[in-house]
Amino acid sequence: MIKPAPSPAPTPALPVALTIASLLFMFSAYADSPLFTSRATLGSLNGEQIYDHICQGCHMPGGQGAVGAGSYPKLAADKNFVSWRFVALTVLDGRNGMPPFGFPTGSRINSGPAHLSDAQIADVVNYVRGHFGNEYKAEVTAEQISSLPHPAAELIGPQ
Amino acid sequence: MENGEGSSSLSRRQLLGMIGATAGASAMYQAMSSLGFAAESPYQGPIDLQGAPRGASVVVLGAGMAGMTAAYELRNAGYKVQMLEYNARAGGRNWTLRGGDRYTELGGHTQQCEFDKDFYINPGPWRIPYHHHGMMHYTKLLGIPLEPFFQVNYNAYLHSSSAFGGKPQRFREVKADYQGHIAELLAKATQQNALDAKVTKEDREMLLESLRQWGALDSNYSYTASEASGDRRGYEKSPGGGLSGRPIPSKPIALHDILDSGLWSGVANGDTFDMQTALFQPAGGMGRIGEAFGRELGPLIRYNAKVTDIHQDDHGVTVSFTDSHSPGTPQSVRADWCLCTIPLPILAQISMNVGQSMASAISAVPYAAAVKAGLQFKRRFWEEDEKIFGGITYTDLPIMNIGYPNTGFQSGGKGVLLGAYIWGMRAMEFTAMTPPERVRKVVDYGSQIHPQYNKEFENGVAVAWHRAPFTMGCFGMWTSATRAKHYDNLCQIDGRIALAGEHASFLGGWQEGAVTSALDAIGRLHQRAVAQGEKA
Repeated sequence: MIKPAPSPAPTPALPVALTIASLLFMFSAYADSPLFTSRATLGSLNGEQIYDHICQGCHMPGGQGAVGAGSYPKLAADKNFVSWRFVALTVLDGRNGMPPFGFPTGSRINSGPAHLSDAQIADVVNYVRGHFGNEYKAEVTAEQISSLPHPAAELIGPQ
Repeated sequence: MENGEGSSSLSRRQLLGMIGATAGASAMYQAMSSLGFAAESPYQGPIDLQGAPRGASVVVLGAGMAGMTAAYELRNAGYKVQMLEYNARAGGRNWTLRGGDRYTELGGHTQQCEFDKDFYINPGPWRIPYHHHGMMHYTKLLGIPLEPFFQVNYNAYLHSSSAFGGKPQRFREVKADYQGHIAELLAKATQQNALDAKVTKEDREMLLESLRQWGALDSNYSYTASEASGDRRGYEKSPGGGLSGRPIPSKPIALHDILDSGLWSGVANGDTFDMQTALFQPAGGMGRIGEAFGRELGPLIRYNAKVTDIHQDDHGVTVSFTDSHSPGTPQSVRADWCLCTIPLPILAQISMNVGQSMASAISAVPYAAAVKAGLQFKRRFWEEDEKIFGGITYTDLPIMNIGYPNTGFQSGGKGVLLGAYIWGMRAMEFTAMTPPERVRKVVDYGSQIHPQYNKEFENGVAVAWHRAPFTMGCFGMWTSATRAKHYDNLCQIDGRIALAGEHASFLGGWQEGAVTSALDAIGRLHQRAVAQGEKA
């Protein structure tokens, strides 16, 4: 679907940049593709798919992390993972340059990062805590995620 | 006078009209500026740093646009300047990938750029608006030749994969038809007196005439296939000479189809302040600026230096680093002051003794995802077949933008175009792929717009900014909430340390943000240094 989203449109507006742009520069939705998610299909991804489509861009396949001028944490054997809250809050709010994924549905946020539902955040938290050598058995639920503070919705503002 | 509504009191519109009629457009613009309509860059011309204390020193971290702007001005003002740069080159995100270049991203994938000589892509910034006065100043200062950057090309495409059978539409046609239909609707509403509450009788005739001109309407205020509309959207058969030259008007796209396609959202692409003509690109690639700055600063820059610790005390700042050639041997530099331009995702991980407010700000700014890909083709089919000379095509496909080279027109032979410029969710997904996968997908998607891709493609490179070892993201994303809470704290000098970069600006992602933030920060550092006086 590429029809303009109904108002209020969850239109991403990357201010920017390097070219980027304002709301005016972009179409309201993107074409579907089996390889790509869209705002419509993103909601159906499970934890593993979310990791493969999004998280591994930085945390790398297998959760191995990477080191440059700074580093992306290796997810395997990360002591912080003992706390599901730590992992969940990181996904919800971002951390040190990592974008937040817990904006409410329909948020108009600069640059349009992905929005994940509480159930999806629970699923991806469970996925990373149960893979890459991590063996935290206790499953987190969407209800537990929803009880945590979420980032506030944000209207597109001048940037 | 009693009749304030009458002759003595001009409406703002009337006033502007009079100024425009009598004094020309520049006076009109000045008047608009003073009335608060048009904003200007904060750049105020070359910075004045007179009176630097003798022997005062500054360590500048990062040799990107912010760091090099600061280092250049501080050096010229008499400060002793040292710079540390993680990369083996100057420029930071001011960067051009050319044939023969190698680039290794986080995760270990190395790409060899196989473009022919003289071809390049700018993985980062690629355009400079004329009103980015700071960038224009330093570009001129460094002797960088500029070329026009075509932000808007009326013959490039707006493309929706689900409208018009997936066939790309010329920007010219979509714009003319959208504008024409809107003008017709407004004209009809005006004629039916629907706008009487907003439009005076006196204005009504002028409004109708302006709509006719603006929308290329016919004498009945209708937007139809006509000479007038053909003059905007192009012709079925363009005017020429002689017996064969009689033009045939083209048929506009129906309003419903324009609206339904969503392509109208691309019509205003060149209307935002940062995208208005004129824009420029350095000849030979954006990286020419960083390279020239690097040569200018020469031995002040220590390359391959990875900062590991920043520590200030009452007398100065010590910066610890490792050299990538001998990572096991910690080294350090010391100076009276520190200007730090390290991107925030990296700085957040470096131990630095600043107050909680600055530390919180450093950790509060997520970085945008962005991906660019450059593709080399055997011939410039976009020019030869489709008559697209420079500019940008916008698409709903995951590649989002195709940027055509704004130079080398009709040069024959091969060409390199920007096959994708992607942000948001799509960029995250492209980042998660290997570089060859990215290039393959960019070619696949691009071939839906230019079927010539399949036959003409030769090689490509794809840069995902979250995998850039020296930034770990494209640029800082502020929200109004984080701006309110953290922005001032990020920019305030903490003891002897000041931060600069596009992340410390209201021009996020633009090089002008880096330049103006650097000048702002060193101006304040200089005041502190002067206030403290010469060292004992």
